[in-house]
Amino acid sequence: MTAAAPAQAPLAFIEVPLGRVRRTTLGGLPAPGAEIEGPFSLDVAAHTTVSVVGDEASGVDTLGGLALGLERAPAGQVMTLGTEIAKLARMAQLAFRRKVGYLPAGDGLMQNLTLRENIRLPLRFGSNFRPKDIEGRVDVIVAQLRLTHVADLRPAQTNAEERRRAALGRALAFDPELVVLEEPFDGLTDRAAGELLEAARGGETAAGSRRTVLITGASLPALLRHRVDHAHRLVRGRLDKGH
Amino acid sequence: MLEFLATIGHGTARWFARVGALARFTFQAFGSLPSLPGAGRRVAARVLLNQLRFTALQAVPLIVLLSGVLSYLTIATTVTQLDKVGASELIGKLMVVAIVRELGPLLTAVAIVGRSGTAITAELATNTVLGEVRALEGMGIDPYHYLVLPRLFGCVVSVSTLMVLFDVVAVVGGFLAAAIIAGMSGPRYLGIVLANLTTQDVVLTCLKGLLFGLVIGIIPSYEGLSVRRGPTEIPQAVIRGTVGSFALIFVLAAIIVGAVQG
Repeated sequence: MTAAAPAQAPLAFIEVPLGRVRRTTLGGLPAPGAEIEGPFSLDVAAHTTVSVVGDEASGVDTLGGLALGLERAPAGQVMTLGTEIAKLARMAQLAFRRKVGYLPAGDGLMQNLTLRENIRLPLRFGSNFRPKDIEGRVDVIVAQLRLTHVADLRPAQTNAEERRRAALGRALAFDPELVVLEEPFDGLTDRAAGELLEAARGGETAAGSRRTVLITGASLPALLRHRVDHAHRLVRGRLDKGH
Repeated sequence: MLEFLATIGHGTARWFARVGALARFTFQAFGSLPSLPGAGRRVAARVLLNQLRFTALQAVPLIVLLSGVLSYLTIATTVTQLDKVGASELIGKLMVVAIVRELGPLLTAVAIVGRSGTAITAELATNTVLGEVRALEGMGIDPYHYLVLPRLFGCVVSVSTLMVLFDVVAVVGGFLAAAIIAGMSGPRYLGIVLANLTTQDVVLTCLKGLLFGLVIGIIPSYEGLSVRRGPTEIPQAVIRGTVGSFALIFVLAAIIVGAVQG
């Protein structure tokens, strides 16, 4: 079932009780969740970069999964590019997610693939591009994210910054209009964090950044705060109005 | 007393929930097959080839050793006794029924569970704990397509192929024992074995290859992908995957024997 979008924002959380969101494994058994108040509402307007930070008990770690439909909101709505992904059929969910760039917490790079193969994976699996075109696209991403010297190494052979760059490269493989980044700057220098943010934003247009970006995590580096259009703090499942 | 019953009830409910989740996982894995995208097939085929290399090719020395030693010992210890009572023809029956039909498939499956089933659980559990499975779903790749189906088909093909290899080596090992100890000629030995081999034996061996391969592909994958909390759960998942696979393989073997003899 696809509901019509009540708002024009590429990403909108509408009255979602974050405390009742439960992660489910492929085996079908729910993981334990935290008790968090709510509900949570937020619009991420087109061509803006929005950050939501909060501690572990705030529910901030569920936002990325909700935006991608990896978790289902028990109440309220999460509209992503005008669609409630979690309410689509499984294969439609997977297809729809290719429209959204996603950098999960911890990078989530496949450890048995090189960085180049990791970036190539979504293109090879989810597109009908010719191999030559895929290689061209991967080369551009590798060069853009300054990974050329480590592209043929596996994640374990590289440092945290290189892995994060590769994970972002993979998230940008389909050149999505919306990008969701979970804890993208943890452990990075301000310079590296700034470069990654610029790559995620995809350059500037008259309306703002080319892509719409949602950043979630425990904190945002001080030097990046002026490069984010809206910075929010989440406290026990609600946006802190005083922030 | 009530507490005791509640404990039993709780454990039983959890067991049924697990069996139900395993059944759902199996149906979803097979149900995902038609939706494997054309582009994804090439990637999945590469993963499948890797799985075949690991599960079948690299297990060949182990299977040859197991089969050769088992058949040599079995025939060597029985052929002289059977010869004494003029029943040397029975080694054909022994070879076909005991080794080719029953022990061959069972030992092959046990060896593959120990070798590859544990590896599949550990690998998929690590994939889950490191967030790789979630990342795959997040970028629109079905983990059933990329992780489960190649392992499932890899196990079915590997176990079936290795069972045939086990049986061939067993027949050769049995011949060596019969020739060295009882001085039996090649044509006579082969004649005795082939006279006892029926179409039903071949069909049953193929059926076991398919079923045991499915078990080794499904249960370790399910346990690996069911890990929730963290790395400390990986060894527990490996144990559950191994014990579950062993149990189901032995139960299936018993059911098949019962069905054939009943």
